[in-house]
Amino acid sequence: MRRAASAAVIAALTILSACSSDNRKVLIVYSPHGKELLEYFEKGFEKAHPDIDVQWVDMGSQEVLERVRAEKPNPQADVWFGAPAETFDRATKENLLQPYKPTWATAIDPEGRDAHDNWYGTYLTPEVIGYNRDAVKAADAPKDWDDLIDPKWKGKIVIRDPIASGTMRAIFGAIMVRSIQKTGEPDAGYEWLRKLDANTREYTLNPTILYQKLGRQEGVVSMWDMPDFATLEQRTKIPIAYVIPTSGTPLLVDGIAIVRGTKHPQEAQEYYEFVTTPEAMIAAADSFLRIPARKDIPLSKLPGWIRDAMAKIKPMPVDREVMAAHLDEWMKYWDANIRNRGRKQ
Amino acid sequence: MTSQQRQNWLIAVPVIALLLWSVIYPNAAVIAGSFENGLGHWREFLASPADREALRTSIVISVASVFASLAIGVPLAFLLGRFEFPGRRLLRAVATLPAALPPLVGVIAFLFLYGESGVVTRAIQRTFGMAEAPWRLQGVGAIVFVHAYTMYVYVFLFVSAGLERFDATLDEAASGLGANTWQRLRRVTLPLLMPAIAASMLLVFMNALGSFSAPYVFGGGLRVLSTQILASKTNGAMGLAYVETTVLALSAVAGLGLFRWLDRKRKYTLASKGGRARRTIRSRRIQRLTSIFAAIIVVALVLPHLMVVLVSFARDGSWTTQVLPPEYTLENYRRLFSESELWRPIYNSVSMALIATAANLVVCFVAAYLIVFRQFAGRGLLELLVALPWAIPATAIALGLAATFNRNDLATGRILLVGTFWILPLAYFIRDTPLVASAVESSLRQMDASLEDAARGLGASWLMTMRRVILPAARPGLVAGGLLAAVTAVGEFVASVVLYTHSNRPISMEILAQLRALAFGTAAAYSVLLILLVLLMTLAARSFEERLA
Repeated sequence: MRRAASAAVIAALTILSACSSDNRKVLIVYSPHGKELLEYFEKGFEKAHPDIDVQWVDMGSQEVLERVRAEKPNPQADVWFGAPAETFDRATKENLLQPYKPTWATAIDPEGRDAHDNWYGTYLTPEVIGYNRDAVKAADAPKDWDDLIDPKWKGKIVIRDPIASGTMRAIFGAIMVRSIQKTGEPDAGYEWLRKLDANTREYTLNPTILYQKLGRQEGVVSMWDMPDFATLEQRTKIPIAYVIPTSGTPLLVDGIAIVRGTKHPQEAQEYYEFVTTPEAMIAAADSFLRIPARKDIPLSKLPGWIRDAMAKIKPMPVDREVMAAHLDEWMKYWDANIRNRGRKQ
Repeated sequence: MTSQQRQNWLIAVPVIALLLWSVIYPNAAVIAGSFENGLGHWREFLASPADREALRTSIVISVASVFASLAIGVPLAFLLGRFEFPGRRLLRAVATLPAALPPLVGVIAFLFLYGESGVVTRAIQRTFGMAEAPWRLQGVGAIVFVHAYTMYVYVFLFVSAGLERFDATLDEAASGLGANTWQRLRRVTLPLLMPAIAASMLLVFMNALGSFSAPYVFGGGLRVLSTQILASKTNGAMGLAYVETTVLALSAVAGLGLFRWLDRKRKYTLASKGGRARRTIRSRRIQRLTSIFAAIIVVALVLPHLMVVLVSFARDGSWTTQVLPPEYTLENYRRLFSESELWRPIYNSVSMALIATAANLVVCFVAAYLIVFRQFAGRGLLELLVALPWAIPATAIALGLAATFNRNDLATGRILLVGTFWILPLAYFIRDTPLVASAVESSLRQMDASLEDAARGLGASWLMTMRRVILPAARPGLVAGGLLAAVTAVGEFVASVVLYTHSNRPISMEILAQLRALAFGTAAAYSVLLILLVLLMTLAARSFEERLA
């Protein structure tokens, strides 16, 4: 027994010490894009650049922001691949990004990039309504945002906690902007959110728990990013389907940036370019259900579901300046006065 | 100054300086940070209903966790300490099992068992044909439930140890004087056990106050201080985060003060060694009932571990509305072992745990030696310094380190650790200092202080005395404390989530990343590896101890 234990310890230590690294240059990428996509680009890039070892850390975009901010005195990451425009705007304000103008800069609309080249858009993320297709028939599923506040969904909606989620903040923000555009006041928007709160069963802290609760029918209706729902629908057994809201939907821009203080600026730029070529964009669309932000990619080269979706999507006019000026205040009001109030009635 | 005193100071000053630098300095930086804007951030905190609610909820959860842990731990300690019944050995063996479940893993296991769509919940719902789940694992109740499961172990261990030292003759004397069972319990047993109970209550309170993973997963919009700190940090409101951290640490220190004060009011000491045979339960019926009861507890204690193992074999995404996962596969393990980066986090966690524990052993041995055997002016300060990290929640420790060691500045004693490998070993070292120090201290207290003088008197050199007298006496504490420290460090989550960086990504962060990718199966398989690692370390420590004994 004793001997077995010490033998096991020695064996374990031998295995562990064998994991030494080679002498390639290490390029560190922080990204929320998930293992599959990151591994795909890692392999391709390392093949083209045999002297570079790409290492990525997969985490949520808010978490990347926090990490980059915490590491500001001693930056560890070289490339930040993936975050909504709002998050990158914040990072820009905090001086965390290194401006870089990619070779394809003109292929992006002005609202899809930073005016001072701190970040550029890579993918587009429409927000959609999702439902559990085992529990809700397609004909009965909500078709538009306003269907979600119908009392028949009371206790059946589960969404991410909007305080922690950039996606939910964007949806709530769009509702508020709509209210201001129609009435000039935020009150109608707050009223809408109050009704949504009354129907909401739970605000989950992360997407995984959201998918799990949705798949296991703790809640049957939700709203979230279309590419993520499409991934669940096409790649997992979780019975989820989604609807593109008929009146329009916020179209978020997801981007890429170089971290200020990177120790490998040259290699970082090479990676930046590598993952944003038209071929890389089409591969991401085919294999990882991303919608390219570049305007110079012909629709005919993209998969069918994206062409269908792009035909149906009506981008909601979202004024980023109004959002940036008021979103924090709206969310604060929601958190203090609306959250969890509806359930008690 | 005599040469003895000079020597005391020579050893004490570096240890005290090291602890002041690593424990006090970062926390001072946090407090200073909370005032960076005068009283502005404090006003913001006091005006925010969300923060007031978080403070209230944190305290409610902590107090409730203390009572829930007492309600489980004390009866269980009595049952196992006082009675003999079939199944006792098995129950004793699994009673401390919850402590071996790493924090994040335990919470996830509970979600799969008792969550709205968990195994137990769905089974009850099916059996009784209910339309809705019988309960929801959410909010304060859910968090206290998880805390009670993981933290009752402290109460159980402390009270069991107290019962072992208990002098049976006192109880018999009371009985002889005509006291009935209830009177004996109330007037003799409980007062004598009070120090053990109070110490364990304190430990549960501290742990519950700083707990992060349970509110993080079950919170569902519930606000507690530890998650509120993370939220402020995410929003870039560092000043407010510092205020919240300071308030959290102050609540802990207030709790510490309160318990110390309660403890001081009772002064009973036990002179004898105690020892008492366990009573065999005579009545067959009660014996059978006790065994059934014990069996139920054993199942409840083992269930979360079994759940992790079960999920590690379930096919991801296949488990929707069924009671148990419908499809099983080796895929999760295959994926783990095919991954070239699999060993990296394990290697990181093990080496960081070893580094932190080695430092703990050296520093805590010296500190405990000084506290137990030497008289000098700084002794009280040293005692306070080694115990203080108990009272500082891990989030506060982590935030302090991040705020202090973010640049090289020798004039203010700062070195750049943020973004380097070394910041996590330092955090683990601080967290585990009280654990190792108290274990070594209690070992040394059992040694007769005159032995050291006797050895020196017989002409043994200082080194010889250390090696042949003091170290052997400290050994049980060093092994037990070191093992506990290493096990805690290897699965650490709360400080790691704030401080980790690419070069030192620990196991808990890898599990979190797998959960994020919806790979529950892979996360569970990884958790199984972590549990095995803890088991392996325990076996190694035990065999080491046996060889030395």
